[in-house]
Amino acid sequence: MGQVTLTDVRKVFGAFTALEGLNIDIAEGEFVALLGPSGCGKSTTLRMLAGLDFPTAGTISIGGRVVNDVPPGKRDIAMVFQSYALYPHMTVAENIAYPLKKRGMPKAERTAAVQKAAATLQLEPLLDRKPRQLSGGQQQRVALGRALVREPKVFLLDEPLSNLDAKLRSYMRAELIELHRRIGKTMVYVTHDQLEAMTMADRIAVMHGGRLQQFDTPAAVYDRPANRFVAGFIGTPSMNLVEGAVRDGTFVFAGQALPLPKDRFGDVPEGPAVLGLRPEDIRLEQGPLQGTLRLVENSGHEQIVTVEVPGGTRLLVRAEAGRPLSMGQSATLAVETARLHLFAPGETGARLGRDPGGAVVEMAPRQSGGAS
Amino acid sequence: MTAKAHTAPALERGYARLGVLLIAPVIVVFSLVIVYPLLAAIYLSLFQIYTPTLQGSFVGVDNYMDLLTRRAFWSSLWVTLVWTFGTLSLQIVCGVGVALLLHQNLWFRSLARSLVLFPYFLSTVVAVLVWRWLFNDLYGALNHGLMQIGLIDMPVDWLGSMPNAMIGIILVGAWKYFPFVVIAVLARLQTIPEHLYEAAKIDGAGPIARFWDVTLPQLRSVLTVIILLRAIWDFKEFDLIYLLTGGGPVTSTQTLALLVYQEAFALNEMGRAAAYSVGMMLVMLVFMIVYVRHSGREG
Amino acid sequence: MKLLRTVAFNLFTWSLVLLIAFPLIWMVLTSLKPQTELFRIPPTWLPQSVTFEHYWRLLTETPFLIYFRNSVVLATATTLFVVTLGTVGAYSLVRFRYRGRETLALLVLFTYLLPSVVLIIPLYLAMVWLGLSNTLMSLVLAHTTFALPYALWLLRSFMEGVPEDLESAALVDGATRMGAFKDIILPQLLPGIISTALFTFILSWNEYLYALVLVNTDSVRPLTTGVMSMLISAFNIEWSLLMAASVMMSVPLIVVFAFLQSYLTRGFGAGGVKG
Repeated sequence: MGQVTLTDVRKVFGAFTALEGLNIDIAEGEFVALLGPSGCGKSTTLRMLAGLDFPTAGTISIGGRVVNDVPPGKRDIAMVFQSYALYPHMTVAENIAYPLKKRGMPKAERTAAVQKAAATLQLEPLLDRKPRQLSGGQQQRVALGRALVREPKVFLLDEPLSNLDAKLRSYMRAELIELHRRIGKTMVYVTHDQLEAMTMADRIAVMHGGRLQQFDTPAAVYDRPANRFVAGFIGTPSMNLVEGAVRDGTFVFAGQALPLPKDRFGDVPEGPAVLGLRPEDIRLEQGPLQGTLRLVENSGHEQIVTVEVPGGTRLLVRAEAGRPLSMGQSATLAVETARLHLFAPGETGARLGRDPGGAVVEMAPRQSGGAS
Repeated sequence: MTAKAHTAPALERGYARLGVLLIAPVIVVFSLVIVYPLLAAIYLSLFQIYTPTLQGSFVGVDNYMDLLTRRAFWSSLWVTLVWTFGTLSLQIVCGVGVALLLHQNLWFRSLARSLVLFPYFLSTVVAVLVWRWLFNDLYGALNHGLMQIGLIDMPVDWLGSMPNAMIGIILVGAWKYFPFVVIAVLARLQTIPEHLYEAAKIDGAGPIARFWDVTLPQLRSVLTVIILLRAIWDFKEFDLIYLLTGGGPVTSTQTLALLVYQEAFALNEMGRAAAYSVGMMLVMLVFMIVYVRHSGREG
Repeated sequence: MKLLRTVAFNLFTWSLVLLIAFPLIWMVLTSLKPQTELFRIPPTWLPQSVTFEHYWRLLTETPFLIYFRNSVVLATATTLFVVTLGTVGAYSLVRFRYRGRETLALLVLFTYLLPSVVLIIPLYLAMVWLGLSNTLMSLVLAHTTFALPYALWLLRSFMEGVPEDLESAALVDGATRMGAFKDIILPQLLPGIISTALFTFILSWNEYLYALVLVNTDSVRPLTTGVMSMLISAFNIEWSLLMAASVMMSVPLIVVFAFLQSYLTRGFGAGGVKG
């Protein structure tokens, strides 16, 4: 009974439209990440699910019930805040017991429930402490405990890991995945960190400018970005996006022409377009395209190379570690055209063509000065 | 499935209603004790009212003509400005100076701070009694102290003659209110990052240069607020001056606040007093707007 | 050399501090001197003999205790009234959205700066009309005119310091708005409430003008006007008595300073004088 549905939800603050006609359907037990840069409307969406903000229009339903007019405490949800929002004047035990107390659970049952939640999260030794005596990670677990204890239908998590240091964050990420697997409850997780979204979520809702850009599995979002924004936002280092035009079955940019596989891009009309290439889909291999290495960043397990091709366009290329590369050196590039993307121009230009299936194609050089 | 776009959700409306309900007592009390008297003051200023009987007759803008033509208002305004300017500058200079001293490492620093802050919280009545005793021409400690050091040969009549009376109230005003400046400046000083001073030191700035180039610019914003607040409070000060000199000798220390009181309760001209009080408020407002505009432009 | 500088600095600063505190020290010393020593020329800087007779006379022969009681009742009533209204009002101003909220906050700031002398004439007339003149109630209402805007302003900044997430968490956990206010916000706001209450109490305790105009019988007079009327009515001013009265009048303040000073400094931080 933990499905969550947003239908045509709009949110306007004065003259500013925070959300524009949002439609999201979340299935029972699903782990969904709301991902986007700050100001994209993801936190507002979560707060509206919680009943802390109110939609200007549209309906929100949880477990099949429209909850627009239901106060937060009666929505059968629990929320974990970025700041943890532990009550500073209460002990850990009192913090965890508070939602039960507000539901009128008798004291004995409450204590038992708190013990159980504390055991799950290894909080027993901390029950009598005040929040300020806890480390960040411990506070995080208390906040989780307070959410777990009342066994809600839906968990809402607002950037719960962003105040932790990198090491603890990756540990808590694993903990949360494990927790979700064990309790199987619906979770809606707001984050600006794509790594968290990609590793934890069943599906990712990528948001930008108050609109839903794509709502799909991590693999689909990565492999088949629905538009130019998603393509550029997902993936580190991000996808190379090159402005150019489709002409005669090729993509033309800065005097280069890249043949486009006919099976995928045959019906794309001619005209301006944006080419998308992930760094791992370009290789420093024998290929006709000439370039100069402008920057080599070695991270130990791989190298990220910035290559400048004639015309001034710079491309990021992923290369294996240990390969001798140095700045200023010239190289040739090969492109995996099967994994190439085309988008309509504009910030959120739509994905063009059909889904992939092809082979490595060498980039054909064209020395004459073409259009860009 | 779409909800009506123009009506706020019931939950939000309920919260807004609760919010209004919670502020309602404040609004009621505000209207009764502040808004109503304020409007009534403007209304009363159009009447001539005899205080003991509270009988009055409508006189239109006569009271305001009085205000414009008689000397009383203008000379009191001048006295108010002299007092405000004098005591305020002394407060700022002493306040900043003492704050700088108390910011340093000092033995028993918290005791020293308490002693300096105390006058601010002291009742004006107590402050005035103490100072009147200090100012006492026969037995006062001030005159004897000054004579012992050799600064004066004869006991000085501190509050009964001019300009001594003005100097007296300015002095007591500064003593009573400079701790406000000390507290505010100290709080700000504690937030100036140490590395600014270190950078200045590396650049070869001495202590005086560091004060002018690092401390003062950092204090600027807080000083703007302090000066505005203190100027307003000094401008409308009543207790201290009334109790020290009663506006005397004659009317040489009669500020606008005292003039209003005098007209209302000594000369029994309640309507004219109301007009003067409205005039006083307008003057304050003008100064405030000019100051805020000015400091806003510079900041 | 460094030590010498430290000593010189400390000596200089402490002399200055003592100079600033001298009037207060002088007040205490005077109150302890016997009558005969008081009017000696030149005055004795330190009392040659110490006596508490002035305090005794003050408590037994003058209406000082009545004034003191009136002041306690007045300042306590004003504080309770204003802080209660102010806390609830500040909660509304900071945590609720409705039309006119910003305007109201500005109005509060404006009234915070209004001269008492403007309001006093209509207030006097209103109190006469309501039959409240010469009552402590009239003074409580009059003190509200400066104490409420002040308290509201202070409490508003304290309220802004309570993280909004805490209230949100309580709402999600099942509390109503008022439940969250009681369970979560009030405990968090408590230091701010104490600080505001102290300031309000001191303001009301020290107020003079309203007491002068609205009250003129000994039975309801607070300390400020009471002590001054003792000064004015006496044929020769009894300085030692007045100094003893001044010391006694400052007792609540000394208590606050000794035990609760951090709350006063905190109030300053919140009062908008921060940069």
